[in-house]
Amino acid sequence: MKAAPFAYVRPSSLSDAIAELASTGGGGKVIAGGQSLVPVLAMRLARPETLVDINAVAELDRFGTADGYLEIGATVRQRRVERDPVSATVPLLGMALPWVGHRELRSRGTVCGSLAHADPAAELPAVACCLNAELTVTGTGGARRVPAREFFSGAMTTALGPEDILTAVRFPVAGKGEGFGFAEIARRHGDFALAGVVARVRVRGTETDAQLTGFGVSDRPVTRSAAGELAAALRESGGEVSRLPGALSDPLTALAEELVDTDGDAHASRDYRRRLFRTLASRELSKAYERARRSAGEVDS
Amino acid sequence: MTEVLAENGKPRAVKAAADDLVEVRMTVNGTPAVLSLPARVTLADALRDHLGLTGTHVGCEHGVCGMCTVLVDGEAARACLLFAVQLDGADIVTVEGLGRPDDLHPLQEAFGRNHALQCGFCTPGFLMSSYDLLSNQPEVTEEELPAELSGVICRCTGYRNILTAVRETKSAHPGGIPAPGNCAHRALVGRATGQAGVSTDGREVTEETGDTRRIDIVLPDGDPTIAVDVGTEIGVPVDAVWRVFDDVSLLARCLPGAELTEDLGEDQYAGRARVSVGPIKLAFKGVAHVVEHDRAGQRLRVLAQGQDTGGAQTQADIVLRTEATATGTVMRAEAKVYLTGRIAQFGRALAGDVSRRMFEQFADALRETATSGQAPTGPVAAPSALKLLFAPLFDRIRTALRRKSR
Repeated sequence: MKAAPFAYVRPSSLSDAIAELASTGGGGKVIAGGQSLVPVLAMRLARPETLVDINAVAELDRFGTADGYLEIGATVRQRRVERDPVSATVPLLGMALPWVGHRELRSRGTVCGSLAHADPAAELPAVACCLNAELTVTGTGGARRVPAREFFSGAMTTALGPEDILTAVRFPVAGKGEGFGFAEIARRHGDFALAGVVARVRVRGTETDAQLTGFGVSDRPVTRSAAGELAAALRESGGEVSRLPGALSDPLTALAEELVDTDGDAHASRDYRRRLFRTLASRELSKAYERARRSAGEVDS
Repeated sequence: MTEVLAENGKPRAVKAAADDLVEVRMTVNGTPAVLSLPARVTLADALRDHLGLTGTHVGCEHGVCGMCTVLVDGEAARACLLFAVQLDGADIVTVEGLGRPDDLHPLQEAFGRNHALQCGFCTPGFLMSSYDLLSNQPEVTEEELPAELSGVICRCTGYRNILTAVRETKSAHPGGIPAPGNCAHRALVGRATGQAGVSTDGREVTEETGDTRRIDIVLPDGDPTIAVDVGTEIGVPVDAVWRVFDDVSLLARCLPGAELTEDLGEDQYAGRARVSVGPIKLAFKGVAHVVEHDRAGQRLRVLAQGQDTGGAQTQADIVLRTEATATGTVMRAEAKVYLTGRIAQFGRALAGDVSRRMFEQFADALRETATSGQAPTGPVAAPSALKLLFAPLFDRIRTALRRKSR
């Protein structure tokens, strides 16, 4: 369980980092926290010729709000995001981060690293998709912004080319009338989820928008609008809060069948994951709707 | 290998080929350390194999079991998921830095009291993880403890007791738990791999005096592992004792198991020392430096440093004082002995007894040499288990006989 030998480069500027990565001709891999990459190296599932360590690049350490977004640079640790009060501007981060591995992993693991690794059962890619966060991808040709929903293209496969570095991600700051929900079921705390959901509901007057993202249920995070299902359930329940999760169950059955397309494994069959997803989605969509109404000032908090 | 010092606390820029060694500087348990490592060496292996700190255990080696949990810049992290070269400038605390055998950290004390360890393999991981939890998230509730401590696995089913120990420590320290209590400048040693780490903050450097074996012996801060303070009455005049003190080669031959191999000049000497206690056999190679030789003040001070091939290091600060009496000389030996590596796993009491016994043998040999004016034939034998076991008994018999004869 020792990594195979690799060349090690730790440049001090982003341009150097990109040049170093480009010079490896595809044999290089970026490392920041390494909490997803090092196990893969230890098991020799990957044997990159060169590791490009970006931790000495000062400009990748940016973390703060600007232009209605919370921007998180490539070397910002998950635990820093979890503990910093500024993260309250994106409530889903505070809800999801405690579920990312364990404290001991979040102290080194980075938000961008989790996105770049793109495990289909990971929490942060799902949060990014539900909010349609913007990812900054920098390569030899410069920087470009990729919406999260276009970034993930399969299991551990993303829009990143072999010479690209995910340099930052920006999450939209939550506005008035927005509410969120997050839940997952894992066999043990810190394990990857058997199924998980992220919900975002926006209430504006009579208009209600709902976005639902599932993770651990396909080869990538899957996002659909659940506005129709929510509207149907609201009619069915007569606007009564306690009846909303039950009323959502039926409308979400078809959505669960559509989104949950993973094959079953030793831990959970596909049908079980569909039931899990439907149950979690009913609850979290209801909670997100309630929180959105509270945030919009429609109900007393 | 290019090296540029980066600003604002960032690690230095590095470029190294796969078979290059990369230099990394970090602080480990309060001691600055410089290591030269292949990039693929994990922090866990660097701590264990290169610095001799085997308290950090290695289990799964891919970040699942939590055995290797240490503090990196004050937060718990898995030492098997970090390459040591990534930690340039980092501050590492391992379980060795948490408390001292005679002054345990409250967490260690609570683990012991609650039987929160059985085989002990997961204990360093649990201690460092719970230290991180209680120091960085003191607001954690009792209900959250099981999930918060789920990053370390115990296979002796000791979770209940572990949770109790952490809960008790938390409630006993509402204002925050005490900082690690055993972090100070001290010697860090490597194993027999020949890739030993160097413990340095620039104070301990090889002098540029031609002979590169000459070193500045820098003693660790903090309490010594063993403090010896013994006085012996020697039935020879002070002058005779100092004739032995004046001749270092003669003096060295009085030290049990010691052998002077070379005069390095400027009061430094290279030597060997063997210690044998039962099946335990240690062979130290090292340097002694006579830093004070004051015949008028009747004081001789020697600093010594030795390393065993198996990864044990000892450093000592020895002061010998003499005082003339009506019947001869009282010799007083005060020694502060610092042990690191596997030798430190000796019980302190045993190590202390062995050291004291060695000083007594030294006094005996000194008496003989001072009386005869000649070195003992061959070096004084290393203390053996049998002698060590029976010596106290002989002492008692001798005392009894002496009393009888009066």
